[in-house]
Amino acid sequence: MLAYHLRIAAKSLRRTPILSALLVAGIALGIAVSTAFVAAYHTMAKDPIPQKSKRLFWVTLDAWDPKRPYNDDQPKDPPEQLTYRDAMALMNSPVPTHKTAMFKTRLTVFPNSRDQRPFRARTRVTYGDFFTLFDVPFQYGAGWGKEADAGPQAVVVLDHGTNEKLFGGRNSVGQPVRIEDRVFTVSGVLAPWFPKPTFFDVMNGAFEEPEEIYVPFRWTPIMKFQTAGNSNGWTSWGNGYEDMLASEGTWIQYWAQLDDARQKEAYQSWIDGYAREQKKQGRFGRPLNNRLFDVQQLLDWEQVVPRSSKTMLVISLLFLVVSAVNLIGILLGKFLARSPEVGVRRALGASRRHVFLQHLLECELVALLGGVVGLVASVPLLHGIDRLARSADDPALYQLELPVLGAGILLALVAGLIAGLYPAWRICRIPPASHLKAQ
Amino acid sequence: MEFGPVFRALVHNRARFLLITLEVALTLAIVANCVTMVLDLRGKFLRESGFDETNLVVASLEPFSAAYDDENYLHAARARDLDRLRALPGVRDATAISAVPLSGGGSATGRKAESAKGDSITAPYFEVSDHAIPTLGVKLVAGRDFRPDEFRDYVDAEGEVHDQPAILSQALADKLFPKGDALGKRITSGGDAKSSNVVVGVVDTMFNSWPQVERISGHAMLLPSQPEDKRLIRYMIRTQPGARKAVMAGLEDLLLKADAGRIVKIRSLQEYKENTYNGERGLIKILGGVVVLLVAVTAFGIVGLTSFSVSQRRRQIGTRRALGATRQDILRYFLLENWLVTGSGLALGVFLAWALNYGLVKMTTVVGASALIPKLDWRLLAGGMLLLWGSGLLAALAPALRATRVAPVVATRTV
Repeated sequence: MLAYHLRIAAKSLRRTPILSALLVAGIALGIAVSTAFVAAYHTMAKDPIPQKSKRLFWVTLDAWDPKRPYNDDQPKDPPEQLTYRDAMALMNSPVPTHKTAMFKTRLTVFPNSRDQRPFRARTRVTYGDFFTLFDVPFQYGAGWGKEADAGPQAVVVLDHGTNEKLFGGRNSVGQPVRIEDRVFTVSGVLAPWFPKPTFFDVMNGAFEEPEEIYVPFRWTPIMKFQTAGNSNGWTSWGNGYEDMLASEGTWIQYWAQLDDARQKEAYQSWIDGYAREQKKQGRFGRPLNNRLFDVQQLLDWEQVVPRSSKTMLVISLLFLVVSAVNLIGILLGKFLARSPEVGVRRALGASRRHVFLQHLLECELVALLGGVVGLVASVPLLHGIDRLARSADDPALYQLELPVLGAGILLALVAGLIAGLYPAWRICRIPPASHLKAQ
Repeated sequence: MEFGPVFRALVHNRARFLLITLEVALTLAIVANCVTMVLDLRGKFLRESGFDETNLVVASLEPFSAAYDDENYLHAARARDLDRLRALPGVRDATAISAVPLSGGGSATGRKAESAKGDSITAPYFEVSDHAIPTLGVKLVAGRDFRPDEFRDYVDAEGEVHDQPAILSQALADKLFPKGDALGKRITSGGDAKSSNVVVGVVDTMFNSWPQVERISGHAMLLPSQPEDKRLIRYMIRTQPGARKAVMAGLEDLLLKADAGRIVKIRSLQEYKENTYNGERGLIKILGGVVVLLVAVTAFGIVGLTSFSVSQRRRQIGTRRALGATRQDILRYFLLENWLVTGSGLALGVFLAWALNYGLVKMTTVVGASALIPKLDWRLLAGGMLLLWGSGLLAALAPALRATRVAPVVATRTV
């Protein structure tokens, strides 16, 4: 029966090819626009590390100005980042499974080849745990271990692009690279890696490309790395590098992996204990407010999804509604114009149910065709949105992923169903006799 | 006179006409809100920043040579560079600056009037060398420019600065000194920190590095300083009108020839600004595209509806023509029908537009910032109505004209 309905529906569509093409084009436009913006929204709002997002925690300590909150608009919020001394103290906690303090800087890299000029590389200064915490994929080699952290040893991890630039994409593990005034050894090369959002450092743009090179944190006081990321202070940063490290300025980011509720509780009491200890020395003048944010909580707190993405999502869905309303109107006209034929079919014994189903199926066929065309069209559309909203040298941000494609087809089918219900209902209620009489 | 029959026909075919009414209403709601956003974003992008935006070039230098560890070398290198830049043909002036205006990256501190109670407010600043005012193109409206002896190091052993001169933007001066008596006054960091500046001048409009942070985008101050940061040196160069491209082309070579121990990047201030506003500029184009597509879809719906309405009534039209109705009468009938349908759609659309605006404002309001979309302007809504009414009429015109060509003889045919 379904096959028969389908055949009738296809026949009906073929009979008015121009109208059918317009119907399909109309709904395809709605699907293309809405799918593209759903994809853009999904890229920004999705869970970037679903396998671990509940176990990774961004650690905050409220050591801010006792007289004034860190954020006047949200007075209960602690600063997002830590002071250098607090971050170093937290590295002594045995509770987390993995942990790292980190920050962003820019270091000069001297290519081995004579004809390449030195360049400043976006650098993440971090512990070896970074690569374990965030499941960072390697192309060659691996991160570094605890000994390299403690040494510190002069090891470096290159990202895929930097390895291309410095070694032409070869396996460079064990090769020397001069960074600033020191020669580092490559311990690993990353596979292409760009999680969206870049949740591990939302302080410096949640959709920026990750760093080009990674070096052990303990080189910080030795090589006098300065942060190139966000930093905030409420007292003087002092005069000189040692003062800066000892100051109350916050610029270090901190992550810990806590695998279950018990571990999380133990860690919370460990950091609270540390804060109480510090209170005795006259620091931490504010009420105890040391918070652990899991990945989703952090993304919500920092409002990483741009307001424009949400707005465009709403507008594009309304666009789809308009295309669907358009579809209802035209289908209704098309079906009613066919009243005499339906009258004859009804008189020859077709039941209402069959007439209804057959016409609904015709709508679904239009919607499905429109959905497929729309999804194909959404790819260049999404690319266009990407190019429009970012500068030319940024890598593509938005991706059309499988769940979004599924959602696009589903949207098309639902739109077809809703658009088809009323016209199909109207046509199935045509009385068999009236049109026979007229003829 | 024809209102009665038109209205009765509408009621008879209410479902189809209600659909078009709804479509027109939704379209008006979306178009009005999209255009509101576009105008607002455009207005913000084109806002006067105080800088000579079209003629400014930024040179960023990142020294890697060990020579720069010596502070004297750093100072001498900077003085030498500035002399060279100022002597270039096509260059009006040049200055060294700690951050790029409008770029999205910079520094801010907290300041309050020394005599005032209460909290300090955010005071973004640019540390500059001499010639900053003529280079940036900002206008001094009160007080004076910095004196040559004021470009020195003000930081004491605790890292505080004392009585460093400052030139404020008018907006920041008004905020700190509502009575308008900023000149000569001391501004301090408040709280336990003891840093202070003395206001020596006021410039009219001067934006900071974060033009999108509405609350403070016009708050900025210039501070005279010696370069401390040996890892990043920035020059701003103001060119003669039209000479920007030619000057930019030769800058990297010039600066590298003077000293190869650094990485040099040349970009115009406009590039920085456009980069900062990338999201907004993209959004403007996207919203514009959505508006065009949407109006097209709705116009297409109206064409379809009127065509169908005409083809269904061929016999009726023939009969009317046979009974003496002129072509104008037929045309008037269908245009009146269209007018009634779009008219009621637009009336409903006003409410929907308002409701959508309310929803979007609510959704995009975050603590501490204004909503992404401003409240609807009735003039804009009226404009949107006119646009849709006009495109509706145009869309109905072709099928309605076809109706006038139905011959009276059609009435005599049976089917």
